[in-house]
Formats: sequence, C-alpha cells, structure tokens
Amino acid sequence: MVPVRLFVTDPNLSSQALHMTVLLLVAIVVAIAVAAFLVGRQRALTMASGNVRQLHSLPNYYGWHAALMASIPALILLVGWLVVQPFVLESRTLAFLPEAVTSDPVARKLTMADVRRVAGGLDVAVRAGALTEQQASMIRTELTDVRSRLASVGVALGSAVSSETLRAAQFYRAAALSGSTLRNVLTLIVAVGGLGYAFWATKPAFRARNRVEAFVKGLLIASASIAILTTVGIVWSMVAESLNFFWQYPAADFFFGLTWNPQFRGGSELGFLPLLWGTLYISFVSMIVAVPLGLFTAIYLAEYASPKVRAWVKPLIEVIAGIPTVVFGLFALVTVGPMLRDYFAQPLGLGNSGSSVMTAGLVIGILNIPFISSLADDIINAVPQAMRDGSYGLGATKSETVKQVILPAALPGIMGAVILAASRAIGETMIVTMGAGAAAKLSLNPFEAMTTMTVKIVGQLTGDTDFAAPETLVAFALGITLFVITLGLNVLALIIVRKYREQYE
Amino acid sequence: MNDMTQSNVDVGAAKVKMQAEGVQVYYGTTHALKDVSVNILDKVATAFIGPSGCGKSTFLRCLNRMNDTVASARVEGKITLEGQDIYDPKVDSVQLRAVVGMVFQKPNPFPKSIYDNVAYGPRIHGRTSSKAELDEIVETSLRKAALWNEAKDRLSAPGTGLSGGQQQRLCIARAIATNPQVLLMDEPCSALDPIATAQVEELIDELRHQFSVVIVTHSMQQAARVSQKTAFFHLGNLVEYGDTDQIFTNPRDPRTESYISGRIG
Repeated sequence: MVPVRLFVTDPNLSSQALHMTVLLLVAIVVAIAVAAFLVGRQRALTMASGNVRQLHSLPNYYGWHAALMASIPALILLVGWLVVQPFVLESRTLAFLPEAVTSDPVARKLTMADVRRVAGGLDVAVRAGALTEQQASMIRTELTDVRSRLASVGVALGSAVSSETLRAAQFYRAAALSGSTLRNVLTLIVAVGGLGYAFWATKPAFRARNRVEAFVKGLLIASASIAILTTVGIVWSMVAESLNFFWQYPAADFFFGLTWNPQFRGGSELGFLPLLWGTLYISFVSMIVAVPLGLFTAIYLAEYASPKVRAWVKPLIEVIAGIPTVVFGLFALVTVGPMLRDYFAQPLGLGNSGSSVMTAGLVIGILNIPFISSLADDIINAVPQAMRDGSYGLGATKSETVKQVILPAALPGIMGAVILAASRAIGETMIVTMGAGAAAKLSLNPFEAMTTMTVKIVGQLTGDTDFAAPETLVAFALGITLFVITLGLNVLALIIVRKYREQYE
Repeated sequence: MNDMTQSNVDVGAAKVKMQAEGVQVYYGTTHALKDVSVNILDKVATAFIGPSGCGKSTFLRCLNRMNDTVASARVEGKITLEGQDIYDPKVDSVQLRAVVGMVFQKPNPFPKSIYDNVAYGPRIHGRTSSKAELDEIVETSLRKAALWNEAKDRLSAPGTGLSGGQQQRLCIARAIATNPQVLLMDEPCSALDPIATAQVEELIDELRHQFSVVIVTHSMQQAARVSQKTAFFHLGNLVEYGDTDQIFTNPRDPRTESYISGRIG
C-alpha cells in the first residue's frame, strides 16, 4: 500500500488554531442559550403579567424553547460547516496546482498534504514571530528559502517547497481564515436569530411544552438511529472487504472447502467447513452443559428457593457472568483441560491433548449458565401466580405444576434465552483460543483440539498483515458469515418469542 | 321474591361435610381471622359475605389449605372434612385439594387447549385408564359446566381464546373433572358481565345437588340467589351464620343488619 503521510509530525498544525476558535464559538453559543433560557422564561412571565396560569406551558418550557432555538440551529450549522469546509477549500486550492498533479489522485493527495502542511507552517511562523502576517502571505520561493525559514521555527518539511505549493498554501491559509470568520459570524447570527425568534414567539398561547417535547422525541430517535447506523456501518465495512476477498478466492472453495491451511507465501487452502464444524461442535457441547444446568437453576430459584436463599444465590451465580472470559480461558487452560485429558481422554484412549472441544465447550457452558438461569428465572417469575394457584387448586404438586403449567407457559421465553445463549457461545473467542487449540480439523472426537471461526478471525489479523492478500481478507469473509449465522439465530429467537408471546393472559 | 324461592330448600336434613372450630389465621403479625367456627353442609351452597378485607377469602383458602402456598400465613384451630382433620400431618395437602376443588376470582385457564385444561386434574390424579374414559370425563365435566355446546367443536383450541364467562365456566369444568366433594369459589363472578354471571349462578345451583359449594361474594343479591346458608364476616370475625333467608330477612346481629341494609361495608 502507498503511505499517505510523508511526515511524522502533526500535519494539521493550522487546524489547532481553528479548533480553539471552534471551542470558543461553542462556548459562546452555549452562553447565548443560557441567556435565551432566562430571557424566554422572563418573557413568558411578563407576557402573562406574572400569572403562570395564563400560560399554555410552565415558564421553564418557554425558557427551554428559547435555549433550544438559540443553540440547536447554530450548532447544526457549525457542524455542517466543519464537515463541508475542507472539501470546498481543497477543490478551490486545486486551481493553483499544475494539471499533472490534479489529474492523478495519488499525487493530488500528496500535494494537498504538502499544501496543508506548508499552510500550517506559515501559521506557526506567524505565531512565533518569525514572519509577519504580511510576509507570510507575500513571500515567494524565488526570493526566500521557505524550507529553512520554517525549519527555524520548528516546522520540518521533507523537501524544498515548490512555488505552486507555496502559492496554493498561501491561498489555502487565506481561504481557511475567511471561511472560519464567515462561519463564526454566521453561527452567531443564527444563534442570536434563534433567540430573537423565540422571544418573538413567546406568547401565553404558544405551545412551548409541545415544542420541547417534540425536540426530546427527536433526540431519542437520533440516539436509537446511531446504534442502527453503526450496525449498518459494520456490515458495510465487512461486505466491502469480503467482496474483495471473493474477487481473489473462489467462493465455492471457501464455503465448501474441507481444508483450512493458510500459507502467507500464497497457495493457501481456505476452506471454511472445518471452522464451521469446530464452531458448531463447541457451541453444541456448551449448550448441552448450559441449558439443563441453567434451566434447573432457574426453576430452583423461581419456584423452590426461599426469598432468603434466593437473595444470596442469585447474585452469586451472576458473579460468573461478570468474570472476564480471558480468566475463564485460564481456567480452561490450566485446570479443565489437563483434568479432562488425565481422567477421560487418556484412559479412554481418545487423545493426549489438553486443548479440546470438550474443554472449551464445558467452560463456555459454565460461562453461559448465569445467562440462561437469569433470563429464565425472570421469565418463569413472569408467569402469573394465577396459573400456579389454578394448578395447586386442582391438587397438583409443585413439580407437576412446574412441568405441566409453568414451563409450557414460559417456553417461548426460555427458547429465546437459549438461542441468545447459543449465539453467545458461537461468538465466544477467548475461551476457545485458550481451551480448544488452533488446529482446524473435521473430527467427531470431542477430546481432539479444534478451532472456531472467531479464533481464526483473530489469527488472520494479528501480526504483520498484508491487507491485499486473501489470507488476511478471509477474516472479513469469516466475520460476515458469523454475523449472518448469529443474526439468523437472533431472528429465529425473535420469531419464536413473538409467535407464542400471548400464550397466557 | 322469585329469586329467594329458588334457595328456599329445606337444608335441615343435610349432613355436615366440613367443620371448622376456632380457626385463627395470621399473616406475619396480622391477625386476619379470629376464632371462626362453621359447619359446611353437604349438597348445600354456602355463601360467605362481608366487606373487603373481612377474612372471608382467607377462610375459604383455609378449607383446601391454599394458604400453605403463602409463606407468611399461619393457621391455628381445627378443620375437618368428614371427621378427618385436614391439618393433620398425615394428610397430604395435595390430595386434599383434589377433593376440595377451587375456582378463582379471575378466570385462569392454563395456556393449553380446552380439552387439556379439563383433562389436567384427571391426568395428574390418574383417574382414567384409557383415552375413551378421559374423553368421557371431559365431556361430562364440560356438560355440567354448561360449556359443552359452545366448546365441543373447538376442544383443541386454546382455553385462553374463550370469552371471560366461558373461561370461568372452563375453570369450573376443570375443577369438576377431578370429582371434588367440596367446591370452593372465590368471587367467581366478579370479573364477569351480568349475562355470564347469570349463567355461572345457574350452574352453581345445579352443582350443589352433587356436592357442597362454598362461594365468597361481594354481591348480597348473589348470595341470596344462590345460597341456602350464609355466613357474614366482619373484621376477621364470623359475625353471624345461618339460613340465607333468616340472615337477609331477620338478622340477629346489628352488624349484619347494618351490612345488608348498606350502612357498613
């Protein structure tokens, strides 16, 4: 890959000065908003001649409305300006550069970095007193050795400055300065204008409360959108790199290949089936451990334990959920693995490996017990007491009631909990790395070392990696496949829960 | 009153089914029920009336030991079913509840099919040896609960899909299916509309020819309509117990008179 930055020191010196004013500007807008709050509130009280009951909303709402009108449009303008300005500046600065530079994207990028740097250097020089403002905008390469002048104030340039670059940098400085000034003025005008509007709008009949609540609603929607947009972003980044991978490596070989053997010298076999098998096998073992234990724990806690016992046991079990998985990995590595090897695998003649599917599966299962028990406990508690009363009233015992009434009623929720736990088991990385080994194998023997998709994603991306090679890019293909599998499981859980949600009541 | 004539049955000859002597109930430190003694007669409908919080539901739940499921409840005194002390350690509360059935205030059908709801009791108690026998119990129970005609074509539909009144009759059918000797009903009509209430009341009057029915109710009209014996509870005390006619026409205790004439409650 081509390095974009030639210099080690900060390439954006000029932006530091800019940031200071942006911070100051935000502070001023906030101050205006505070003033607007007080003004709006006072205005409302004055309009109602002190009688709060004549107002549509409480006085504070008029204050909030004024504060929001003063700050939100101004801040939106500011953010928008900060995003757009660099693009405008760059396109206008390009006019000063030779055709040979602007037509080639790589050269353009490099030259623009140079321009910004020289502009930043000039800023520093002016601030340090090495140049006057006038000199900074007038100097010419023909007359001055710009490089040495800038070096004297601590700005190191990699090469001598060409006259075009210097001209462009001087333009860039001037344009950035005027742009920033314009931005500051406009932002303040909008802020004051917002305050003025709120002042004008504040009348006893004005529905300030509804306006403020509409804003709160917008804020909530924006918060929710950020999570969704992030998911979209994650998928997008993985899809792009995965497509890159599938250009270089046939998809059929990836999805149906039986061998996983990456070679960084090339000629790798990147069959995904051994990894899928390892993932599913380990998850299966972990679910065999976690589902019965978690469920029995939940039934005990919800139906049999006295409140006192429950108050102690539930938090204790949930402590497990708080242990970092890497610590569980240590437990798998030094305790569970050797124990399984010495007492089960070797006597049964099934292998000599401490790292095995069984080790990782058991430990992930233990990790998932509190997850299932906690969720299932809540779900069982949500079954109405009337169901239990009805069953006891017919002469059923506690266990008959649990088996025939409570579990069927809670089943959809429990299924949801189990599927969530399964997607956690599939996504688990650390315990598998430390407990299951790193060998990609297709085997039925649970005491053999195997590996999972998550482990290989980490493996292919650590160390010196070349982001153009299929051996690295395969991690993204694995990632998106894993994403699709867990997404599918979650959707399945949602469908099950939704289908049976209204069973009782 | 036409309503009253229905209840004007001679109950003097009925034998005692359940007997309570000096029953005290405590919830934690609260003394909820004070020294209650009552005879519940066989094949008679007995109504417990009284203002909210007077202890009538508490007493009802003593009769099948449902209070056992409330951790803080403590019951003292003696309650017998056909001479057998039901709080005797030898008596299994689970077996007792099969004999003394219960219908609750809010219809609480299980999230199962109508058939499975009714078959629940017979199945857990092993009352039947074949599917045909179970089918028959389900049918007779639904018939007795006056639900057969509405439910016979949808036995495999969920019981929760029925209307409120139908659900309550399903719960009654479910209780009948275990073949109880006493049926306790805790305000069975309070969640129902007047038409469903009338259906359930009619049902109670039929059921009491087969076993004892004890009904807790807020409605004095209902007590007058369906019961032959009435007990009036007030502040945890059993104030008066006697024939329904006598309680409503000629109460002995001034508190009873105040309550039925609407001055307290």
